[in-house]
Amino acid sequence: MTRTVLLWLAFALAAGAADQATIAQGQKQEQRTCLPCHSLRIVHTNRLSRAGWNKELDKMAGWGAKYTDRDALLEYLVATYGDAKPVAPPEMTADGRK
Amino acid sequence: MQTNRRQIFAALLAAAAARQVIGADGTAIPGKRPMILHNDRPEDLETPVKYFDNWVTPVDAFFVRQHIPRPAAIDAAAYRLNITGLVSKPLQVKLADLEKLPQHTLPATLECTGNGRAFYTPKLPGIQWGRGAVGNAEWSGPRLGDVLKLAGVDTAARFLEIDGADTPVMQTPDFVRSMPMEKALHPATLLALKMNGQSPDIHGFPARLIVPGWDGTSWVKWVVRLTPVAKESGGFFMNPGYRYPKYNLPPGTPARSAELEVIEGMPVKSTLTAPEDQSNAVLGAIAIRGFAWAGENAVERVEVSTDGGARWQNAQLSAQKLPFAWRLFTLNWTPQEPGYYTIMSRATDTAGRVQPIVPPWNPSGYLWNGIDRVGVTVEKV
Repeated sequence: MTRTVLLWLAFALAAGAADQATIAQGQKQEQRTCLPCHSLRIVHTNRLSRAGWNKELDKMAGWGAKYTDRDALLEYLVATYGDAKPVAPPEMTADGRK
Repeated sequence: MQTNRRQIFAALLAAAAARQVIGADGTAIPGKRPMILHNDRPEDLETPVKYFDNWVTPVDAFFVRQHIPRPAAIDAAAYRLNITGLVSKPLQVKLADLEKLPQHTLPATLECTGNGRAFYTPKLPGIQWGRGAVGNAEWSGPRLGDVLKLAGVDTAARFLEIDGADTPVMQTPDFVRSMPMEKALHPATLLALKMNGQSPDIHGFPARLIVPGWDGTSWVKWVVRLTPVAKESGGFFMNPGYRYPKYNLPPGTPARSAELEVIEGMPVKSTLTAPEDQSNAVLGAIAIRGFAWAGENAVERVEVSTDGGARWQNAQLSAQKLPFAWRLFTLNWTPQEPGYYTIMSRATDTAGRVQPIVPPWNPSGYLWNGIDRVGVTVEKV
């Protein structure tokens, strides 16, 4: 019984660690792939389902985005900016008048 | 070659990352008051509703929407507007030539097609605009019809293709639009050289299209090419971009592409600017304010409710009852008891269109025009 619980715990921890690694990899992929064309705020202010993010990645690929790890990027977006995540209050620009 | 490409890419990335850091730390946009920042590069800025005190929205408070990066600063002396396509003589027109044509001034409301996208459920991709991707300005310049007359438009031309000086990044599509020649030749359609008597600056210097009553996407900035054509031209920003379902869809479902239509005239809408949503007020006289607009029509009536929509009363409207431009509304309200109140506004236009409670969900989140509402807590001193 104890061995089963320990095994299950070890498996859960390993799976969690793998998820975190994937998410970190996805975040790096976002920097590499998205930043050449636009800043990331336009991504981070969206809250979409897995299907919604998948569709966005397809759209961006059509516009020249190159993914070395598309799966990791998708996992990162879903985990961080999924449709159940709360929306952060918007930021304001500084005063640009002279 | 490979090394060079890598170096260029690394430099691009570093520049982009640096800009991102600046953005997160409070970017200042030259000439603009503090604005709601939806994106740093390209800039997408929303006007906080508290700035909407006047019938004319100042340039320094006007919202900014860019699909692709702004063009480099345009030299007025070097600027040329190319008129090509189905014309009797292709032309390059100077800014001075545009200034010599008869100048007209038109007040008109400009609204981003996606204004209010954040209010749709289920949520939609794109800029999460709230209430402030809209503004009302006085636009001045020659009629687009007079500009086209310089080159002589062929009778076979049914549409006008318009391109701005902004250029895409990598393989993103260029921002090119087209509109029926009938709208292009409408006497109210202008090529604006001034906005509220000033240079349009970030809003399309030196020449910006004014397509009164139509969605903001039609109002091409930094216009450098006009091309009369026989058929509606393509490109992402005409198809599939900026299309709206012909028949209403169940929320969250895709549209059939054959049943998507180009967006033209805008719906009737009102927005509350005071009291501020989720604010507190002292028991006594409270001013309810806002503005209402109706695409190619004028606003006939705005009703306000202070009890969540159970009862409605007419608000006072500003004098300007014009097609294309908004009207301000006010209602002086004196609640008798403290407590939380839901205030709502509902506009009706001169064609009898009324703002709905539930605007039709659509896959791109366009044309939100639901009855507006704010909550206010009224307290005894």
